[in-house]
Amino acid sequence: MSELELAGVEGRGATSAPKAWRPHIVALVCNWCSYAGADMAGTTRLQYPANVRMVRFPCTGRMSPLMILRAFEQGADGILVSGCHPGDCHYVQGNLVARRRFTIFRSLLEFLGIDMQRLHFAWVSAAEGHKWATVVEKVTTAVGEAGPLPKFGAPDDWQGLDLPAVEGDGPPEVSSDELAQLRSNIRQAAADLLSSGQVGVVVGYRAASMAHQMAPVTITSAAEAERLEWGSGCVNNLSTYASSALENHERVALVVKTCDLGAVTGLIREGQLSRDRVLLIGVQCSGVSTGSEIAAKCLDCSGTPHPICDLVVTVDGILESPPADAPDGTDALDPRDEQIAHLESLPADERWQYWQRQFARCLRCYACRAACPLCYCSSCVAEKHRPQWISPAIDNRGNSVWNTIRAFHLAGRCSGCDECARACPADIRLDLINRKLALEVERQYGALGLDAEEKTALVDFREDDSEEFIL
Amino acid sequence: MDRRSWTIDEAEMRHWLQALIDGEMIVVAPVEEDGVVLFRPITSAEQAVVEPSGKTRWSPKEFLFPRSEALYRYRFKGDRVQLEDPPPVGRPQILFGVRSCDSSGLARLDEIFLSGTKDPLYAARRESTTVVSVACSAADAECFCTAVGGSPVGEEGSDFQLVPINDGWMVRVVTDKGNDLVGDTADGWAAASADDLEQTEKIEKHVAEQIERNPVDSQWSKVLEGGFENEAWKRLAEHCLGCSVCAYVCPSCSCFDMNHEANAWCGEQCRSWDACTFAIFTHHASGHNPRSTPQKRYRQRVLHKFAFREDEDEPFRCVGCGRCVALCPAGLDIVDTVTAAVAAIREEGTDAAC
Amino acid sequence: MQLAEAVPNPYQPSLMRIDGYSDETPDVRTLRLQFMDSDEARSFGGWKPGQFGQFTVFGAGESVFALANEPWRSNGDGGDVPTIECTFREVGKVTTALRSMSQGQVVGFRGPYGNHFPIDDWKKKDLVFIGGGIGMAALRSAMLEVIERKSEFGDVVILNGARTVGDMVYKTEMPRWQAVEGVEVVRTVDPGGETDDWDGEIGLLPNVFEGLELAPDGRIVVACGPPVMLHYLFLSLGKSGYEPEQVVTTLENKMKCGIGHCGRCYVGPFSVCRDGPVVTWAELNELPKDY
Repeated sequence: MSELELAGVEGRGATSAPKAWRPHIVALVCNWCSYAGADMAGTTRLQYPANVRMVRFPCTGRMSPLMILRAFEQGADGILVSGCHPGDCHYVQGNLVARRRFTIFRSLLEFLGIDMQRLHFAWVSAAEGHKWATVVEKVTTAVGEAGPLPKFGAPDDWQGLDLPAVEGDGPPEVSSDELAQLRSNIRQAAADLLSSGQVGVVVGYRAASMAHQMAPVTITSAAEAERLEWGSGCVNNLSTYASSALENHERVALVVKTCDLGAVTGLIREGQLSRDRVLLIGVQCSGVSTGSEIAAKCLDCSGTPHPICDLVVTVDGILESPPADAPDGTDALDPRDEQIAHLESLPADERWQYWQRQFARCLRCYACRAACPLCYCSSCVAEKHRPQWISPAIDNRGNSVWNTIRAFHLAGRCSGCDECARACPADIRLDLINRKLALEVERQYGALGLDAEEKTALVDFREDDSEEFIL
Repeated sequence: MDRRSWTIDEAEMRHWLQALIDGEMIVVAPVEEDGVVLFRPITSAEQAVVEPSGKTRWSPKEFLFPRSEALYRYRFKGDRVQLEDPPPVGRPQILFGVRSCDSSGLARLDEIFLSGTKDPLYAARRESTTVVSVACSAADAECFCTAVGGSPVGEEGSDFQLVPINDGWMVRVVTDKGNDLVGDTADGWAAASADDLEQTEKIEKHVAEQIERNPVDSQWSKVLEGGFENEAWKRLAEHCLGCSVCAYVCPSCSCFDMNHEANAWCGEQCRSWDACTFAIFTHHASGHNPRSTPQKRYRQRVLHKFAFREDEDEPFRCVGCGRCVALCPAGLDIVDTVTAAVAAIREEGTDAAC
Repeated sequence: MQLAEAVPNPYQPSLMRIDGYSDETPDVRTLRLQFMDSDEARSFGGWKPGQFGQFTVFGAGESVFALANEPWRSNGDGGDVPTIECTFREVGKVTTALRSMSQGQVVGFRGPYGNHFPIDDWKKKDLVFIGGGIGMAALRSAMLEVIERKSEFGDVVILNGARTVGDMVYKTEMPRWQAVEGVEVVRTVDPGGETDDWDGEIGLLPNVFEGLELAPDGRIVVACGPPVMLHYLFLSLGKSGYEPEQVVTTLENKMKCGIGHCGRCYVGPFSVCRDGPVVTWAELNELPKDY
């Protein structure tokens, strides 16, 4: 923990409750309906608590989770977001997009340990002065019950908590002969593609310094194919390197595991990659690891390459069509789901402590961002300083906002490849946060598959999207 | 100064550690948290992970050079500004269980922060910190201290050293501060024999043999500098992702950024860790960026660690802990890079030193 | 134990009041600042041409600007009040905030930092000052010093180049400089940047310089401008027979701490804030092309 926190930073929203504490509540209101509704409450002399500070926006569609996080980070104890009723949005659909965004963001904050008594969403129309007063009354009472926002910071003397063990068999193991065969087949496939000119560049894995460790390698000639390797150290999601490989070549072949494919699809879906410029070499995988144990994501995977691959490499050879037992989609269950369920069964403040301890380790190295194939923004929101939404200070406030927003920017898009968690030098359970969001998106709006034509959930909406929590 | 040394067993070491904890100073030692071993303030001796070998996930540099801290503060009073000192720093602390590479790293930080214009915050902390280091009787898989002129039993940056021998510890004073720390606790300890002291050489030799790296030659600095424009750099850093894991876990990296954080009433100038591997590290407001590609940035990192020295007698800035090699998400290896760069530069004949 | 009292905090700025300003162009302003604390004003040691300062906009951040006015020297009795001038372009967060400030408001100043132009080494020599765009700001302090002590130096040519007439800085001061005997001011804008009533040169700085046909013997060239301009200018200078030791420039790099600690401004082993920013072309040739 930094000196900043030990000293109790003043002026950055000190959260110790001085004198008689009164809740600080920030309301983000849309100009057309809710602001007018609030105005009407005033002109009709309705009495309601005065703890709410309003910030006016053109539309709920403009309200970014960054604003909610910033308000909490700066000392708000509670937040209310209010806009037009669905169907009445001044900009037609702003609130419909916002509805999905709030649904998922709310579940994220709940998972991270924010008491949901603190975060409220409402539709209040220009004619609903009474409703505004009632909503503010309700929100103020709820926040009052929740108390001052818990401190950001690693909990003192907290013993930690145990998560249930992850279980699963993982893919079938291969013998060393079989592994050698796979390696040889990969090299053959790559050499053939390069010498025939089908691709100008192949991105695969090479042996790295540590035992069993692999690293990315980019080769442009058949002779270099001898450098390609295969094994349990092949952890990287090589789709991260597709764009840079294509800067100098027409077509790239990527050596891929099934868990890498979601990212490839995502890049194609989001216009970062053209399907016809990528050739996917799917390889039979027996699981990856960075230590002694197989990665959690592998435990429920068969390791068999997916049909969308252009070439499939197995122990038997190189196929151009998938084997009979190929999976037809991404797996429904994940070994981490029990761990998530366990965290969700705990009281909010214990979850808060769990995540605050994790975020206390965060160094803001942005390895999570660098390793993620879908974090491709040329300028990240973390680096924007006009305005500076995310505090660059490497303390729990800034770290909590960064980690929350990183996860949220991937909500509905994240492919679950776990590269972020693998890259994190502090062993922060980013994979749990990502999986939690994926589950929530799936529950509300359906699962995302490997279809590049499908829209991701948070850039889409339906008239009948759920709004179970909206006042 | 009296360079006293003793041999103690594990129980005596823990007893002394507990006495330090019960004393006036904060004791910071490696502890295990969620499977990660990190330096943290401790409240009981059992918490501390003090073993004959094994590094923490990252160095303890943050206890002299925090990840973030206020450099000064201010308040807005109408149209005036009132300046305030940063929070007081320099509570006496003991860093207990610091490996030799990490204590060398602290010495590298001293060279930055205590030379030229002295940094008062760092200086206050450094002066009030006593470093109790632990020598290593075995290397981690990624370690290469001996390949860069370091040693598993090195005393640089340390005030008092524990050396693992015979299932216990040989402990010795390195500086006056270390001498003051042990005080009269040592009265009950057995004095170390000449044999005991010799064990450190054996340990050094054993660890050097474990480390399967060719040494980085001091003369390579000039070769690397001469080959600044060599094409090899593009290839060697091709897969760098531009994160800063290497810089942040590194014992000797010390670059920082300075930002104002303020609201309508008050603010502070806050410095935070930063890294030359980030894309905008040298990005000018005009839009010009001298290091516009990840490869150029990685080249800078390598040269800063292994070249650009005043003279060849100075140690490398890399202390050989190997964490960057173990933790790089893209599997880059700085020693392999240096070796390959030197080979490529020599082959092309573009090195100044030839 | 707190050293914070014994060792001064180099990061804490002095409070300065904006005494006045003038707008050179639509986005370039010259600010005049004075110390708010009279003790600090009295004990301020002044600066030498070429040095820079870190200027703070409280709430926004810090930015590096060259100290642009003639170096202030105390006459010893504490009567003179030091004024600091800086010329800056509105280009980012801090400079935008700074440009929105008005007379009487408070900013911060840390400095002077860096090395300085070796003006005394230039005595009796002919001098050429070449400034590209806002690069003129980094030269102004040295130019004013030389003009003030003109009799100690040979001929002085000041070549002020800008992209367009509107972008040219110090327009109102140049007549004053021209009026000094032995000083010649040449103004140029890039082709296409001229107005109908423009009576200066039209051409890129390196070309205009070559056109002046100034013989290299015993002459010192002091240049500052964008990297691309300097690159071509050095090529021109080389062609015209200038030796690298005769050419002086001031390096710009991204700087934060100003005191050689934060690691940002390194060019190889050279820390621009600590070992520079003033450097000769010869010294620059020894450094990696990392600027």
